[in-house]
Amino acid sequence: MSDWEPKIVSFLCNWCSYGAADLAGVGRMEYPANIRVIRIPCSGRMSPKFILAALREGADGVWVSG
Amino acid sequence: MLTLSEIKSVKGEAGNFQVEVLRHPRYVDEQKCIACNACAEKCPKKIVDHYNMGLAKRKSIYVEYAQAVPLKYRIDPASCIYLTKGKCGACKKLCPTGAVDFDQQPQLQTYDVGALILSPGFKPFDPTDFDSYQYAKLPNVVTSMEFERLLSASGPTMGHITRPSDGKDPKKIAWFQCVGSRDVNKCDNFYCSSVCCMYAVKEAVIAKEHAGDDLDCAVFYMDIRTHGKDFERYYDAARDKHGVRFLRSRVHSITEISDTGDMEVRYVTEDGELKVEIFDMIVLSIGLESSEQQLALAQKLDLKLTDGKFCQTGTFAPVETSRKGIYVCGAFQGPKDIPQAVVDSSAAAAAASEILSPSRNCLTKAKPVIPQTDVRGERPRVGVFVCSCGINIAGVVDVKAVTEYAAGLPYVEYTTNNLFACSQDTQDALTQIIKEKNLNRIVVAACTPKTHEPLFQETLTNAGLNKYLFEMANIRNQDSWVHKNNPELATEKAKDLVRMAVSKISLGDALEEAELNINQTAMIVGGGIAGMSAARSLAAQGYQTHIIEKADQLGGQARNLYQTLAGEDVQAKLDEMIAAVEAEANIQVHLNTQIANVEGFVGNFKSTLSANGKENVLEHGVVLMATGASPHQPTEYAYGKDPRILTALELDRKLIADDPMIKEAQTAVFIQCVGSREPDRPYCSRVCCTHAVDNALHLKKTNPDMNVFVLYRDIRTYGEKEMAYKKAREAGVLFVRFSLDNKPQVTVQDGKVTVTVIDHVLGRPLELETDLLTLATAIIPNKDEKLAQFFKVPMNADGFFVERHAKLGPSEFATDGAFLCGLAHYPKPIDESIAQGKAAAARAVTLLAREKIFTSGNVAQTDPMNCSRCGVCVSICPYSAPSFIAQDARMNPGKAEINPVLCKGCGLCVASCRSGAIHLKGFDNDQIFAQIFSLDEVIGQ
Repeated sequence: MSDWEPKIVSFLCNWCSYGAADLAGVGRMEYPANIRVIRIPCSGRMSPKFILAALREGADGVWVSG
Repeated sequence: MLTLSEIKSVKGEAGNFQVEVLRHPRYVDEQKCIACNACAEKCPKKIVDHYNMGLAKRKSIYVEYAQAVPLKYRIDPASCIYLTKGKCGACKKLCPTGAVDFDQQPQLQTYDVGALILSPGFKPFDPTDFDSYQYAKLPNVVTSMEFERLLSASGPTMGHITRPSDGKDPKKIAWFQCVGSRDVNKCDNFYCSSVCCMYAVKEAVIAKEHAGDDLDCAVFYMDIRTHGKDFERYYDAARDKHGVRFLRSRVHSITEISDTGDMEVRYVTEDGELKVEIFDMIVLSIGLESSEQQLALAQKLDLKLTDGKFCQTGTFAPVETSRKGIYVCGAFQGPKDIPQAVVDSSAAAAAASEILSPSRNCLTKAKPVIPQTDVRGERPRVGVFVCSCGINIAGVVDVKAVTEYAAGLPYVEYTTNNLFACSQDTQDALTQIIKEKNLNRIVVAACTPKTHEPLFQETLTNAGLNKYLFEMANIRNQDSWVHKNNPELATEKAKDLVRMAVSKISLGDALEEAELNINQTAMIVGGGIAGMSAARSLAAQGYQTHIIEKADQLGGQARNLYQTLAGEDVQAKLDEMIAAVEAEANIQVHLNTQIANVEGFVGNFKSTLSANGKENVLEHGVVLMATGASPHQPTEYAYGKDPRILTALELDRKLIADDPMIKEAQTAVFIQCVGSREPDRPYCSRVCCTHAVDNALHLKKTNPDMNVFVLYRDIRTYGEKEMAYKKAREAGVLFVRFSLDNKPQVTVQDGKVTVTVIDHVLGRPLELETDLLTLATAIIPNKDEKLAQFFKVPMNADGFFVERHAKLGPSEFATDGAFLCGLAHYPKPIDESIAQGKAAAARAVTLLAREKIFTSGNVAQTDPMNCSRCGVCVSICPYSAPSFIAQDARMNPGKAEINPVLCKGCGLCVASCRSGAIHLKGFDNDQIFAQIFSLDEVIGQ
């Protein structure tokens, strides 16, 4: 295994997953630092264009949660 | 909010109580605590964690759970080393804000209040003394509350189900129902706890979902009581789809298989066969009861209790205690689930509001309005404030480096680092800096927008900046707290998040919040018990209320009911209620009236009322749907072939009329679930079991020699209604169970009505010749699709209205300004209909009382130039915000427009618009793309 780390962009719904990510912090859970969160008002806001743009910018993975 | 407080005494009367409250010390200053957990990390004292049901440990200084409100730590004085022995004080030394205060003392304060609402909850039954299930002895016998914690992602096992004895994954789990409920032998709780069947079904399904299909889940029960909305479907799915086994058997006792941790369960099947099964884990479905403290409180307040030791209320006043001005809601009123508790809490608020409405707003202070600076056309001048949060952020993230980095970003004019960005002095300084440096966009890199965005937005407003010119970078909850072992990467992440925030807000605009006046009139559709209850509450709170009733009289289905379980005469009570409605100056009743058309939206509805061929327009601010339901007309059990075969409501009408046929009957038979819990109507009608049991008892009282049989599938006399079931059996009513695939047969021949049913004990057909057969027919909603479309409110497959949230919003719709109550929501008895009527009124008043509302600035807007009139937005919006502009309009005819008042800013239409014609203000495409494009630096590395 190489030490390659994927770079992940995530789009999180403000009302659920974004709040859950906050709670993960309150609970001091640890996870890798290779993720960047973009807060969206609802997963309904998600557009395929955002996923394509993130991949084009070089992201190795896109995670949408809501 | 007064936490850690208890009532010492209550003097006075309704409208003028003096309440003495003892506030116990928290030993932590709520104003200073930032819930950083530094204290608990270093506290040397570990004690049992009661929140996790003793399955985990916690520290002596703690916050009970992550979602606690207020999110402030407290010290448990009984275990704290400093408070018990005078040594330690580690938390005080470590607290970055100096919040720990060992000198806090108990405080006695007196408050003047007009009304009291009690919602003290319940105590889970303690099965320690239940020796047959050996809870105290066997580690793998757990209570349902303990199992809830095992299932929870935030619980001691992070949601992975393990056996307490050896940490092994269980392969076979059994649930034992009615532990501490429906039991007068081993405990004194005769009542049904109402919630345990449903939670056991839920726990079994979730356990199977977590552990996979090879986990065997078996529920041992007496009657499955899934009488709530959509609960029967869940039960059906648990059995048929998830393979949960349901065994109708009361387990007598269990034996431990030595050294294995497994347990042998002996039980008798429905066929009378003795079986032995081995389980790895046993969950006791414990009931609900009132705690000693609650009973002491009731005594202190001089409140009457029921036989089951719950707070006594009346059928027609379901949230009023025996003392005027004191109201009750939740499980202290009787065991109940979340939706019913939420309904009751709104109802209690309405009841208190009714007596206090003259004082509404007398303590309200008006906020000064600060003029807004116009920043349109200005080049962005961004200020970045990086918070250290004591050591919470600075202990991991190099905040100095982040601040310096931010200074080099485009459009950034000012950067600084604050110890606590949220402290009052920093807020004041921020206001000053915004003015001095002429900043027009602000980024705060700190905790999380979920908790602190409103605070910073208020500071912007105070500084004369539009509050939407603000963006937060989450560098604590989603950075320093989760990457504490990786400070370098955390710092890089913080830089990225700041860069993304700056690029997003640089494209942000000042947004307007539309102001909307709320018409102070309410319209209620339906003049049954629920509608009248809502109307009386609204009228008592000073609002003009119109009841629209399509029939020629008020009363709805209650017109058919004979008596309540408590023996009250429904017709007499109903007449009183109608008289009160008619005498109320604020209520106008429109009989024989239908709704022909509706225009408008929240705050400004215009409904066309049609009566006797005449049309009238009523302007109103809110609408309450109390459209009721009707009895199912049966096509089975020989209904209609003999006058002695009646529906349940027909029997009631005969009882009201004192028909001699009742007294003369020799044998009465009730058949339950007629049209309910069937494949094409998979819901329980909730009221029929209690109704039948009550009428069976009444028949027995009228004529003790009458043979009375109740043929049922599961008896669902939930809560304290169980007492009636018990009394009916004691009075000699015979209960015979049947199954859906073996329903009773009814024949009418030679002037005889005969019911044949397979007796569940004998396993043989039982022939009952009857002269009074009552069919407990299902409750069917008045599926008025036109009305639903008028107010843009949804209906489920059964035709009941769909509320905003099954648990938390049972009396309102997702569509603003529309509320619901009564049978139109789901079948329910009189007390629950009255409570929901009041609840809907309370929810409506939260809107009416504001008189005008400001909508959010984060709403969608169409660009008519690009709109192709495809209608996708109109059809997909859950809040009915988009609509087409009229074809004959001068501007943009036929194009879509979005009503900012109804828009919730979810962006569903924006993402779905094929023409790119919709923009979501504050989360527009260019802003989200700006964030994505600024990822480039990190990804490029």
